[in-house]
Amino acid sequence: MDNSGKEKEAIQLMADADKKVKSSGSFLGGMFGGGHHKVEEACEMYCRAANMFKMVKNWSASGNAFCKAARLHMQLQNKHDCATSFIDAGNAYKKADPNEAIKCLNAAIDIYTDMGRFTIAAKHHISIAEIYEAELVDIEKAVAHYEQAADYYKGEESNSSANKCLLKVGAYCAQLEQYQKAIEIYEQVGANTMDNPLLKYSAKEYFFKAALCHFIVDELNAKIAVEKYEEMFPAFSDSRECKLLKKLLEAHEEQNSDAFTEAVKEFDSISRLDQWHTTLLLRIKKTIQGEEGDLK
Amino acid sequence: MSSDFETYEQDFGTITAEVTNKIGRIPKLSGEEKTQLVLNVDKQLEEVRELLEQMDLEVREIPVQSRAMYNSRLKSYKQEMEKLEKDFKRSRIAYSDEVRNELLGDDAISSEGQRAHLLDNTEKLERSSRRLEAGYQIAVETEQVGQEILSNLHTDREKIQRARERLRETDANLGKSSRILTGMLRRIIQNRVLIFVLGAVILLTIILAIYLNLRGH
Repeated sequence: MDNSGKEKEAIQLMADADKKVKSSGSFLGGMFGGGHHKVEEACEMYCRAANMFKMVKNWSASGNAFCKAARLHMQLQNKHDCATSFIDAGNAYKKADPNEAIKCLNAAIDIYTDMGRFTIAAKHHISIAEIYEAELVDIEKAVAHYEQAADYYKGEESNSSANKCLLKVGAYCAQLEQYQKAIEIYEQVGANTMDNPLLKYSAKEYFFKAALCHFIVDELNAKIAVEKYEEMFPAFSDSRECKLLKKLLEAHEEQNSDAFTEAVKEFDSISRLDQWHTTLLLRIKKTIQGEEGDLK
Repeated sequence: MSSDFETYEQDFGTITAEVTNKIGRIPKLSGEEKTQLVLNVDKQLEEVRELLEQMDLEVREIPVQSRAMYNSRLKSYKQEMEKLEKDFKRSRIAYSDEVRNELLGDDAISSEGQRAHLLDNTEKLERSSRRLEAGYQIAVETEQVGQEILSNLHTDREKIQRARERLRETDANLGKSSRILTGMLRRIIQNRVLIFVLGAVILLTIILAIYLNLRGH
């Protein structure tokens, strides 16, 4: 009961605000200071209406209201408020219409980059990428946005956040079979993190991933790469991942897919391999079996 | 003479055989029977010693030529007797399986029991190794969680640093704006003073003009 009442109120507010905007546009009053005042009021009314729509969970109407408010802010040259309203609109649309949300978020990002606030722009690039990942499942666009976000973060010297984005990019690249790029990314991230005392415990994970990508491309590469990493980062050679890699290399040399499976099972029994790793390892295994088939 | 020696030899043989038999039986017995048997064997060993002494005397009466053979035989008999005595001493303190079984109940460790015992041990070993594995897994998981937390901390650290920088900038900006405002205020006051002064001057001029006019009439 309360909800529908709120909704009616909200619709009423929207209508009022629309009238205000129209009135301020058509009258000469728009030229005086009073015109501005009206537009501001209209803005505020739009915002209130949008919030009420949010309360009743009418996301698209809410997004719509926020968008209108944002455009009014733009007229008034309030860049900050405009961008904020676009972001609110984007959040509201996220739950209803992903495409609209992406449009709004893009507009907001443009404003932010204009103002020079790259950190926030990067954060919103990540949001857009997440939408592409989850709702629209358009991996390439998601990758593009993640990359953009990582570049902005690097520009602002937030290496940690940049690394996070790069890792996602790397994971998707490997899935999409763009191994070269993935290798570069992982090696870069690994080299960055191994010096940092806080992050060095994660470095071996990154080298492991890079080595796996090398492996798929070419076995010899993988061997050279593993040696290189051991040299760069001595702690890597103690890790279980390194031992697993060596066993896999051996099994691959001997074309022995049983030994391969054995080694993987052993590793898995101690710490579960996640989806990404299992996919890559399966591809590597197929190359072993594929070569066996060729020999026949 | 030699026939005496031979009789002695025969007696020696029989008695030593009996003694050996009894020595074999001693460990298995206990209590009354054991002490009796022990006394028996003691007596027989005494007899054997007397026999040996007599054999010795006999051998001395034999002419020197044939003494060697008897001598050697005598030596071997003496050795046998010493061995018997040693065996006898050992048998008195020897343990036997019978005693152990009596203590621990019949058939305490038969082959079936041993098998079950071994299986038990193996199971215990397996259980402990499984627990160790689980412990290792947990340690590895903990390490992974730690990695995540560390990277989160790093990100947060950067955020805080940036926020602090911005705060300092804002502070500086606020300082600047407050200075500008004070400057503005000063100028406003200056302007007002100027206006009053000018107004006063104009008023004075007007009054002077009127006064001069009136004086002129």
